[in-house]
Amino acid sequence: MIRIKNLSKSYNTILALDQLNMSIGKGVIFGLLGPNGAGKTTLISILNGLSNFQEGDVEIFGLPLQQNLKQIRKRCTFIPQSLALYENLSIIENLRFFAGIQLISGSTLQNNLDYAISVNHLETLLEQKAGTLSGGQKRRLNIAIGLLNNPEILYFDEPTIGIDPESRNDILETIRSFKEDNKTVIYTSHYMDEIEKICDEAAIINHGKIILQGDLQTMLKESKDPSMSLESLFIHLTRQDNANA
Amino acid sequence: MLKAMLKKEFILILRDKHALAALFIMPSIFILIMSMALKDTFDNERAFIRYAVIDQDQTSISLNIISALQDNTTLEQYGTEITEQKQLQQALNSGLHFALTIPKGFAKQFKNENSTRILHLDVASDVKQNMLLLFKGELTGIITQLRIEKMLQELEVMLPGITAKTDVLMQNTNKQIEVHFNGLKPDQHPTSTQQSVPSWIVFGMFFIIIPMSTIFINERKQNTLMRMQAMNISIPILFTGKVVPYMLINQIQVWLMIGVGIFIVPLLGADALTLGNSLPGLFMVSTGLSLAAIGTSILIAVSVNTVEQATTIGGIINILFGAIGGVMVPKFFMPQSMQVLSNISPMSWGLEGFLDIFLRGLDARAVFSESLALAGFGIVLLFIAWAIFARRTRNGT
Repeated sequence: MIRIKNLSKSYNTILALDQLNMSIGKGVIFGLLGPNGAGKTTLISILNGLSNFQEGDVEIFGLPLQQNLKQIRKRCTFIPQSLALYENLSIIENLRFFAGIQLISGSTLQNNLDYAISVNHLETLLEQKAGTLSGGQKRRLNIAIGLLNNPEILYFDEPTIGIDPESRNDILETIRSFKEDNKTVIYTSHYMDEIEKICDEAAIINHGKIILQGDLQTMLKESKDPSMSLESLFIHLTRQDNANA
Repeated sequence: MLKAMLKKEFILILRDKHALAALFIMPSIFILIMSMALKDTFDNERAFIRYAVIDQDQTSISLNIISALQDNTTLEQYGTEITEQKQLQQALNSGLHFALTIPKGFAKQFKNENSTRILHLDVASDVKQNMLLLFKGELTGIITQLRIEKMLQELEVMLPGITAKTDVLMQNTNKQIEVHFNGLKPDQHPTSTQQSVPSWIVFGMFFIIIPMSTIFINERKQNTLMRMQAMNISIPILFTGKVVPYMLINQIQVWLMIGVGIFIVPLLGADALTLGNSLPGLFMVSTGLSLAAIGTSILIAVSVNTVEQATTIGGIINILFGAIGGVMVPKFFMPQSMQVLSNISPMSWGLEGFLDIFLRGLDARAVFSESLALAGFGIVLLFIAWAIFARRTRNGT
């Protein structure tokens, strides 16, 4: 589904991604871990065609990214960390606007709207202005907007920041449910328990390089201490990498 | 796609009370206030010079001078009689412009070139040079006419019947001058409404800088623009989605303010706005101005980091463009050097275009160059904004 080979990206003299290799299959929920500035957001930006890269190859759906960007974007969605929506518009106005700019219309529009609304439990709030919603409801609207094109790949950039535990749990369950629809999810978060709860595979990035990647359960089992949590493993590996750097 | 963007921008503006006030209410109020405030400036029949006469001579000559001054409708005699110096000082400090003293013995030496009994004029310190020249000219005219009258009376003794033949000399010269303002019908004269509506339309149109840049920066900060780009919305489409709705908003502003000039201003006692002779010309200027204002707005929005910066910079640019461009102080009041400098402001180009239509009665051909310059200015700024925005997007800033 996603294949990244020797990907390098630098901002002036700062190397953000360094010879990165990664492969993510269809229907996988993939966790992307790393400290601040590790390169997670840069990688997500590149995969969404929002940022260029200097070296390497990226293929999505078997198509080279740069040559097929428009086509690939139609089948993917990006759900940013910030609430990328209009607070002065109601939920339904937000959804119709983002559907409109993607030229989604007719029965597809209705089906996709119904799907986005029901998955995020927004049925009773449709006429409410986004600005008046709770933090959790806004996050759900943020996700609903991303579902309007019925994407095959979903990129989530820390979608649960700043919300209460109940809303967070709801969102995690929603994301987990995408697996049933055979959708691929790339999920970045600082909350290790979230990654452990919903992800099938994960990669730990530090200084633009992958320091560990694979099936989550295998990663934990193969660590020095099998009882180690993902958080402990993450801290251990990043410290070790920082010391070697 | 554009339909969705258009609808979204309209809803956002309509739900933003502050934006509505800045775009529609503020310029309408400006038009009402300025049309009323300047109403009398363009009234040819209005008395705008206040004077008093201290007649120490009390002769037929002095009474004739007083009578001639009273006949002039641009002069208003001060209500209170002035008899002492202290009273004169107070009057000159409280609205009296000129106090004319006709000294005792003035009539006796009236014809004498080397007279020691001459008229004395006390002038308020805030009187402008042109007003002083006007009043002195009026006095000179009266005295000249009185001298001719006196000479004719003396000639009548030597040549009986001559006054009948020279009656024409005594006629009011004002009746022999017909005034015609360029571009207006013979019975029309410039009004404060014709002067102020174009100014505040121009100023009001540039006020879209604030709501437009505020919305754009919020979209950028919240990554809504980035999300839209990830949805295959390119920068030109993104910008078009801004340009089109705000051009429509600008057109609504223009016609709302014209409506205020035509229907509301006369209700308050000032002259109604007349549209001029060229609707295509009006459309050309307003479209050019709109592009210039939108280009400025988007350039500010992509260049600064916060809404506060955009509001401050946008406000400053608006006021500077307005002050230099002749919106706040009409260009004809400015010295020559400032009039030349005013040409750097796009508001000046737009204002000249509107004045060509509203005041000078010209057509679309006359405003073509101004409209083209404004549109070109806006398009160049949009291209610069595009380059900056593309760079910032690439760098993730």
